[in-house]
Amino acid sequence: MILPPVRYVRPQSVAEAASLLAAIDGAAVLAGGQTMINALKLDLVQPTALVDVHRLEELRGIEVADDGSLVIGAATTYAEIAASPVVRHHQPSVADMAAGLVDRQVRNRGTIGGNCCLNDPTNNFPPLLTALGAWFHITSTAGWRSITADTLFAGSLATALRPGELLMSVRLKPLPEGTRIVHRHLQLAADSWALARVVVRLDVIDGRVEDARVVLGAVPGSPLRLATVEQALLGHPADTRLTDAALTAFDEADVETVGDAHASAAYRLEMTRVQLRRALDDAVERSVAA
Amino acid sequence: MSTTTQTSTETGTRAWTGRAMPRKEDDRLLRAEGEFGDDTPIHRLGHVFFVRSPYAHARITGIDVSAATRVPGYLGCLLPEEAASLTEPFMEIQGPPEGAEPEVDRCLAGGGVVRFVGEPVVAVAADSREAARDAAAAVAVDYEPLRPVVDARDAVTPDAPVIHAQTKTNVAWEGLYDWGDVEFALEHADHVISVDELHFHRFSSTPLECMVVTAQYDPGTDFFHITGGCAMPQITTLMMASAMRHPAERIRIVSKDIGGSFGVKIGMYVPATAVALLARKLRRPLRWTETRTEHHYMGGHGNERWFRDVKLAVQDDGTVLGLTYEALDDVGAYTRYEPLGAAIWTQVANAAYQLKHLKVRYRSVYTNKGPVHPNRGYSRLQHMWVVERMMDIAAHKLGFDPVGFRLKNYVQPNQYPYTTVNGCVYDSGDLPLSLRKALDLIDYEDARRLQERARGTGKRIGIGIGSTLDSGTNNFAQARLINPHLPFAGNTEGGLVRLGADGTVYAVTGGVAFGQGHETTVAQVVADLLGLTYDDITVHRGGDSALSAQTGFSGSYASQFAVTGIGAIINATRKLSHEIQLVAGAVLGAAPEDIVLEGGLAKVRDDAERALPFDAIAGIVHFAPGSLPPEVADEVGLVGRAVYRAPFELPDLEEKFGNLTLTYATQIHACVLEIDEETGQTAILRYGMVDDCGTPINPMVIEGQVHGATAHGISAALFEHFGYDADGQLTAANFYDYHAATAYDMPSLRYDNVVSPSPFTPIGAKGMGEGGGAPLHAICAAIQDAVGDHGMILDSYNPPEHVLRALRGADAEKVKVD
Repeated sequence: MILPPVRYVRPQSVAEAASLLAAIDGAAVLAGGQTMINALKLDLVQPTALVDVHRLEELRGIEVADDGSLVIGAATTYAEIAASPVVRHHQPSVADMAAGLVDRQVRNRGTIGGNCCLNDPTNNFPPLLTALGAWFHITSTAGWRSITADTLFAGSLATALRPGELLMSVRLKPLPEGTRIVHRHLQLAADSWALARVVVRLDVIDGRVEDARVVLGAVPGSPLRLATVEQALLGHPADTRLTDAALTAFDEADVETVGDAHASAAYRLEMTRVQLRRALDDAVERSVAA
Repeated sequence: MSTTTQTSTETGTRAWTGRAMPRKEDDRLLRAEGEFGDDTPIHRLGHVFFVRSPYAHARITGIDVSAATRVPGYLGCLLPEEAASLTEPFMEIQGPPEGAEPEVDRCLAGGGVVRFVGEPVVAVAADSREAARDAAAAVAVDYEPLRPVVDARDAVTPDAPVIHAQTKTNVAWEGLYDWGDVEFALEHADHVISVDELHFHRFSSTPLECMVVTAQYDPGTDFFHITGGCAMPQITTLMMASAMRHPAERIRIVSKDIGGSFGVKIGMYVPATAVALLARKLRRPLRWTETRTEHHYMGGHGNERWFRDVKLAVQDDGTVLGLTYEALDDVGAYTRYEPLGAAIWTQVANAAYQLKHLKVRYRSVYTNKGPVHPNRGYSRLQHMWVVERMMDIAAHKLGFDPVGFRLKNYVQPNQYPYTTVNGCVYDSGDLPLSLRKALDLIDYEDARRLQERARGTGKRIGIGIGSTLDSGTNNFAQARLINPHLPFAGNTEGGLVRLGADGTVYAVTGGVAFGQGHETTVAQVVADLLGLTYDDITVHRGGDSALSAQTGFSGSYASQFAVTGIGAIINATRKLSHEIQLVAGAVLGAAPEDIVLEGGLAKVRDDAERALPFDAIAGIVHFAPGSLPPEVADEVGLVGRAVYRAPFELPDLEEKFGNLTLTYATQIHACVLEIDEETGQTAILRYGMVDDCGTPINPMVIEGQVHGATAHGISAALFEHFGYDADGQLTAANFYDYHAATAYDMPSLRYDNVVSPSPFTPIGAKGMGEGGGAPLHAICAAIQDAVGDHGMILDSYNPPEHVLRALRGADAEKVKVD
């Protein structure tokens, strides 16, 4: 397809970007463009202007805050995240996700902020960042606020971002000792969309699950937390019986899947269960091994 | 890589032919200095965008372009009624059914009806591509939806809506092929394997460059100048000329670099006609650059085919006697190049085997889907796939070793030239050796051990063999099997080689390459014939229908260039050699036949002192003709133009018997594949390919094409599918939903070759590159091997969900053993 005519502005600072977003009704943020440009071509979005924040230094970079949190600028590319020893050290699951994301061209352009702000159900980061309990720092001409992943991700292609707001950074607190993060997904091909995606987080203390997050991707409403499964895991011994307990609590009625050219809804649901079981098995195994 | 001994050929010394020369094309392509359809700048260029049908089947009740005319930059448009008044319907190969009118096929929806989603309805021109798109979006078309037919099996039922009212039936062509005595074989065979239904799915070749057409009309000379990647220029010219009621010689088609065709760009004449009509109407050069989505709608799909009531007769000792089935070939909404596919599969009627009896009832069926076009392995791979599936299923069901069963039934090396059930002649090959080499590539014995070890681990391993043929250089008389009134017979290609005034050699071929390295292979052959070096030869890229290098059948399709294109170049080079000998003989005082061409010189045989360099010969002819004897000067133009004619006879139309193709390259593939039992996901662990395309001209070019065909086949088997929903909406209209394999998806490919020179071709080479779909056969067989005979693999498309269903016993009941 061919791009529609659209006004393009490249602010020199976050303050200017916020002013432009406030001033131009219907303006959209352009970062790496890996989803936005396709959405424009397909006429899925009709912004009045694109505010290009890709080169804003204030939005790029990776650092460790005083409290030990990892802070990743919203316009940091997947390639930068994948190559960062700091991310690898503090949040290896984030580094793995970035490194395994489609192909090099996309990794060189696509940004973690864009991935989150579009919140397409097939996007990789929202389920993981939900499991990690990420915080999102947001700015606008009205000031700034910080919200959790649970708040930001408001359903397929929807976020809690208000018109005029700009995502600044993603903040990840240090994980407690004994926390296991497992990401499992099933794809038709190496760089195609996931048919099923599960992220499991188990915080294990003294052999018991202190906290748990079980998050699905690639389903409507993604990232979707499975509250009943999480509940069943709380306090459960981190052993091989844990998976069965979780699967017993897993109510397929909580999950809606949609069929398309690649797979039926029934297959996707079944694969979600398979990936859930495998993720839990992996998490327990690591926990036991630890 | 191993090679067997090459037989000597008549080309004499061969310093260059047969070597893996780096491709001449690659330098400009890697520097991004190629010139593809969309690259050429043209003054005052306008752009065309098509308004396309959102419905699979609907009546057009109104078209309002008034809003489009107000879009800034709007230049004009072409409406269906206007197109109908300015054109004749495109030629249809099959002719009308008895007592009916022909189907109406025009460049814009004909007869007030749209017949597939994406069919062009209005062509809109504007001064930019964006403006053309906006203007097209502003055109309002009213439709009255009609019931669509999306499944060929439904299309042949009595209550199906008729897609072309004139023809009164959805069966575009119907024929019975009956060779040998299948009924007798089935009745007396020890075993009959019966399968209710198999399905070969719809996919395409996904050229990197979609179609581009640029049309300029010169009113002063009444000339159309068309540029773009045209794979079959003279036939395209004829199709456009007869449709536009315009002299063919006043339509010139020029192609430069072409980013892939694989057959599908043969359909270019349809949009090109619309663009040309609009360019003439508006007196503006116009360009249409196809989007990927447009390409998916109508850039050309491969044939989808149902095989029903399939029966294979097998003896206790593993001898296969015969095969029968009923084919429903889903050609989509218009026949276009079809129903030639109904004849073309018979080039490989026997597939790789010594079948004695074959009976096929074949119907080409209209549906409300994108029209099919020739697509890599065109129509043969569907038949060879069903033969390979049946061989494989028979081996499973009757307990034969899949290797031994194939080896026993292959056409044997000592049987060549081998005449098939229908009179085609397989020229050469060594299938048993090819299979052994393919099995070596995957370390077959070790793979069987791996398979054993995998049991109970949640993974299963399967090993599959794909045996296939790439028939090349077709006999166009096969079109008479479809319609005896057609004039076509035989096949030719043209070539032109000249010695320029500066002494350099230029070659032009009629075949328009779309990535096969023709500039490279032509230069190798010409250098050998003229005693020059590879770098001395300049080969023009692309094609130009106004040059006399082309013949009616010129083009790049049907795996033939190594035979027809190279054959024509050899003949043309010989003519030029003869002229050089005449000039050198006259100047050096020797008989022309005593002049030899060596080391860049024309020399008197056995007399090193008497020699002329090529630039001296060129200089004398171009600038000093007065110094030559008049009879030499009058004859010599230093241009050799020649055709290559493939030696064919007319087939017997009554018996449908005769040779339809000159050469048969063979491909044996072997695959080790792992299946995740819980998800049905597949992973190819090892993949071996053995190619035999006769005497190699450039082994690297061959291996590259083998890799390409393999990637395409793997992708088709696992990822690519043009599905349609019940309303006739394409479910894979872009790359979001149509996954063509990338490097990430490819296993490491292991390659080997066998060299069985063709006794029928100029240098023993055979056409190749289509590959016959061997990966589809091999992957289906490997999945079957992993599944056992619990479930049956009866579809050529096997994404994880299908594989999981097979693991759970799907389609087992459709296969019976008697």
